[in-house]
Amino acid sequence: MFGVSSQQVISVIKTTLMQFNPVSELRNPVMLLTEVAFILSIFMAIFPGSFSLPTSGSYEEFYLSVIVMLFLTLLFANLSYAISEGKSRSIVDSLKKMRKETVARKISEDGTITTVSSSALRKGDLVDVQAGEEIPSDGEVLEGSGFVMESNITGESRPSLKIIGDGVTGSTLLTTDHLKIRVTSDPGETFIDKMIDLVNAATREKTPNEVALTIFLAGLTLIFLIVTASLFSISVFLGTSPNLMVLMVLLICLIPTTIGALLSAIGIASINRISKYNIMAKSGKAVENAGDIDTVILDKTGTITIGEREAKKLYPAPGKDPKEFALDCLKCSHYDLTREGISIAKLARKSGASIPEEEMASYEFTPFSAETKSSGVTRKDETIVKGALKALEEKYGLRDQYVEGVCKEISSRGGTALPVIKNGKFVGVIELIDILKPGIKERINSIREMDIKTVMCTGDDEITAQQISQESGIDEFVANSTPMDKYHVVLREKENSKMVAMVGDGTNDAPALAKADVGLAMNSGTPAAKEAANMVDLDNDPTKLLDVIFLGKQVLITRGALTTFSFANDISKYFVILPAMFSSFTVLNFLNILNLTNPILAVTAALIYNTVIIIALLPLAIRGVSFRPSSANELLKRNLLLYGIGGAIFPFMAIKLIYVLLLIGGASW
Amino acid sequence: MTSSTTLNQSSSFWVNLFLQNRELSGFIIVLIYILVASILAYILSNHIAKIYRGEETIISRYARPFITFFERLIGPAAKKKMKFREYALSFIFFNLVAGLVSILAIYYQNYVPFNHALATDNFSLIINTVVSFLTNTNLQHYSNPLRFTYFSQTFVLMGLMYIGPATAFAVSMAFVRGILTEEGHLGNFFHDVLVSFFELIVPLSLLLTVIFIIAGIPETTMYYMTIHPLFSGSTVNLPLGPVSSWESIKNIGTNGGGFYGANAGFPLENPNWLTNILEFSAFTLIPLASIMSLGKVFSSKSFGRMLYAVIMGIFIFSAMIAFFGEYIGIPSMSGLGFAYTGNMVGKETAIGLASSTTFGVGATMTSTGAADAILASYTPTGMLGIIVPLLMNDPLGGVGTSVLNIFTFVIFTAFIASLMVGRLPEMMRIKLGSKEIKYSTLSLVTHPLLVLIPLGATFTLSFIMTSFSNPAPFRITALLYEFGTSAANNGSEIGTFLTNQAYFNYLDAFIMLFGRYFIMIFQLVIAQSLASKSPRTEGENAVRLGSPAFGLTLFAVMIVVGVLSFFPVLALGPLLSLARDFSLFIWRI
Repeated sequence: MFGVSSQQVISVIKTTLMQFNPVSELRNPVMLLTEVAFILSIFMAIFPGSFSLPTSGSYEEFYLSVIVMLFLTLLFANLSYAISEGKSRSIVDSLKKMRKETVARKISEDGTITTVSSSALRKGDLVDVQAGEEIPSDGEVLEGSGFVMESNITGESRPSLKIIGDGVTGSTLLTTDHLKIRVTSDPGETFIDKMIDLVNAATREKTPNEVALTIFLAGLTLIFLIVTASLFSISVFLGTSPNLMVLMVLLICLIPTTIGALLSAIGIASINRISKYNIMAKSGKAVENAGDIDTVILDKTGTITIGEREAKKLYPAPGKDPKEFALDCLKCSHYDLTREGISIAKLARKSGASIPEEEMASYEFTPFSAETKSSGVTRKDETIVKGALKALEEKYGLRDQYVEGVCKEISSRGGTALPVIKNGKFVGVIELIDILKPGIKERINSIREMDIKTVMCTGDDEITAQQISQESGIDEFVANSTPMDKYHVVLREKENSKMVAMVGDGTNDAPALAKADVGLAMNSGTPAAKEAANMVDLDNDPTKLLDVIFLGKQVLITRGALTTFSFANDISKYFVILPAMFSSFTVLNFLNILNLTNPILAVTAALIYNTVIIIALLPLAIRGVSFRPSSANELLKRNLLLYGIGGAIFPFMAIKLIYVLLLIGGASW
Repeated sequence: MTSSTTLNQSSSFWVNLFLQNRELSGFIIVLIYILVASILAYILSNHIAKIYRGEETIISRYARPFITFFERLIGPAAKKKMKFREYALSFIFFNLVAGLVSILAIYYQNYVPFNHALATDNFSLIINTVVSFLTNTNLQHYSNPLRFTYFSQTFVLMGLMYIGPATAFAVSMAFVRGILTEEGHLGNFFHDVLVSFFELIVPLSLLLTVIFIIAGIPETTMYYMTIHPLFSGSTVNLPLGPVSSWESIKNIGTNGGGFYGANAGFPLENPNWLTNILEFSAFTLIPLASIMSLGKVFSSKSFGRMLYAVIMGIFIFSAMIAFFGEYIGIPSMSGLGFAYTGNMVGKETAIGLASSTTFGVGATMTSTGAADAILASYTPTGMLGIIVPLLMNDPLGGVGTSVLNIFTFVIFTAFIASLMVGRLPEMMRIKLGSKEIKYSTLSLVTHPLLVLIPLGATFTLSFIMTSFSNPAPFRITALLYEFGTSAANNGSEIGTFLTNQAYFNYLDAFIMLFGRYFIMIFQLVIAQSLASKSPRTEGENAVRLGSPAFGLTLFAVMIVVGVLSFFPVLALGPLLSLARDFSLFIWRI
């Protein structure tokens, strides 16, 4: 079942049964009423006489089927709750497994090291962690650097380098070197503890939106309760003794059982689905907020572009043989294993250059450094260097009008120019361009189709920023930006009463993250950033902000669509049950537009539809309704057509089908 | 149809066309009524928009001295900015005092001048009458003007006819202010009442009184006119009285209580087709103008247009059902081959079918409840056109309540529509929290519950049902109408049973009070909650309230909520009557 272990199945069944307790139904007035009706129906079936119900054989079959259907309605509602709750419970369980006690070496003020349990650590304590040990608690690296394996949290199998100032998470494994760490959270407040709390709270607590919807559903339920009650007294007045069981079926069919049964599942499923993206949302509210975003602030590097550049074209200096220049490029990039270097080598080979490995072995490679702003290879008779124009000009005291011209032209296109010097002479220029992340253009486009404004922040100059934003379809950019600029953009948008989402990882992003309505922090970020944000991405992929927005919208749409559907369904039920109920008034037969001749069978068919639709829509509730990113107006029209008008028409067909199937199946009553 | 047989032939093509196609002319008459009302309302909507925005109006110059005088009289209470609690308390206190004073005045009416009426010692009737006039319902369980003296009529009941609309309009001003402002207060109740009184209701009613006097409606304080009919030895006492002034506030204030028992069906209240269309335009004037003004108030013309289209859609739909229902009448009758002119039973021949039904639907679309035909003689189909707007809690509403009522639906629709486009609920760029939804839901369920609970209860009390004489389905229609009209503060009556008995007098009084004050208080809570929220700038990605898609959603929500709440009762009332009559006549003959 759903591809889970038997243990989980048992826990789902257990939760399902526990939900039958009326106290746990209190949070859901619709289901509470259904449960009351269920208990009442049992009494009615056992003592038909005291409810003045007819007791012929076919009626008893009908009563039995009502009991079964009401039971199934409750079961399906509880099951949908249990399945989604079970999913989040398995998340909690796996988190809890991580939170085991370890031994920590605490450094006292005088520098001595004592061994304590990890649970004894308090905020501000200093600990020493050696290679091969687990980091005992969340903290910040004070001394040393080393690779930390975070696969149990992020799923990333490559260890990541932590240096001074970086944040580390408790229960992750230090694989190399040793670190001195300052603990940043008390026991019970660590990242994992918080995640457990969050998942638990998200299961228990309703978002404001869910509360509002529950209130509305309670209002509708109240109306239908009164409608049914008044129908009882009117039919008594008209001299037809109403069949109480039929009246109760009418009530159950009218109250919004569909959305009532699925409401909690939708909410829990949203938390589950966001965890599937490896994002920890601090509340269900944060996910819903994400759906409401007006402006998204994106970093260029890492979000829109891969962060490294790629060689696009080689420009040999005048009089230089292009093949020879390609060979020089290949030589100077052969050992350069940055993405840029690899791409240059690839381009050079494509241009016809090749060099045997043995020959390259004689070269010595100087990697890129921030100081020299260049890299290259040297052999006793040959030096090939590539680097920034200014740095090379200064270093070698060279000026070359052609090269300068080419460089200027390249940067005016938003690219990066990389001149190459061979033996103290310019031999040509390599053009590098920023590469967009695969698929980013389509995603930004889909965001824009939802009329969400995109703002790109980049440290690059105006021209590059413009080039990238044009290429990727960004609405607005802030060039030469500092982290404070991000904060200003957030402030500006907030002043215009817009909802803002952003990504950040540094401590200096924290104010902006805190101010934004949706702040997604990278798990690799500093504790301050993670603290300020309302979501943390464990995979450190800033592009996921777009997924979060999509998901947030989907949750809200699912809720709205199912409510509309549930509401629109009621029309058909009137046309089925009312003619059946007053079948003694043959003149009212013009209401029986489905032409269901057997009244009791018609009522049964309506109830079966009402029950089955819950389980039929459960996958939709858990998965979320599909939607194409488009403007609000388009979405409204489409969903209105699909779930409003569709919801009004579909049950007519479904009930007729069930009725015919019942007839064929030989239901005789 | 058969109408071509006997009608006069004329040489003009157009006259022939309209005379011989009465469906067409009826249809056009309905549209003319709505067009005239819309044009007049459009002219007034600028004035109302200014009042809502707190700007100077052309009347401010003349009204200011009165307003300042009364503000000085009230003292500091008329100056301070009120939040929900103060505003609501002032509103309730003001209404309570007006109600209590009125009850006392009517109880002792025989001790004051201009007394020509029978003594009124029926306390339940007094309570019912005062409550109904105070709540802008004007459910008249008494037969006018026999029960109440000219003094009671002029000073007490007519006073209430001014106070009811003025306070309701004040609440709507507070509601609009709540949406517009960010400062967290709703304004001053006393100021709002004075403004709506002196700048809106009084000038319009004065103007209309003059027009009515010119049109031939009486205005006097003299004793009943004694008439000696030609062919009978008896004498008839014809009460005259201050009919014109009564009539103008009855319509302008969407009160609807007639000076005469037969309401606008009586020739002295509504002499001809001109006064008929004048009265229709008068009672739709302020509600329609208020709705139209919203576009200007919220600087979103499309929002105003959308509301107008939705409400007028319901209006035209109901008016067509009512007209064609009455036009077709009873199919078996028109099938007999005579020139059948439709169901003219209970209708004034000077006014005719189309005008009568449009007037009737207009009276239930607004909370006026005036009538120029006997509702009890409507065919079941015609009755559907009249009763459906009533069950939707008067979609066009009354003075002030037009804005309050439509917003219960707008807020709820905005909630659902926002969700359906994947946004957190918002309206007018303001976030809707669970509090707004809670009170909006309460407003939405108040009306159906106030109708259905008493309805269900009354059917079980057999001793109450003894005064009914019509067939059972019609009794259901009659009771549904009785509680519907009370809950919607409409005041039109279908009658056909003894309404003036303690049970209905007290029960209806309760329903009217709850139906009016509950919804107003709930809307004020919402206004207060919105008042402290800052609006968001127009988001392209939000649901646009002025868009046709939203309009359609709003329309569907209004219909579906109404239908879902009342369909079973409608099925056993009008629909069962309809089916029975048809089967009775069609299949037996």
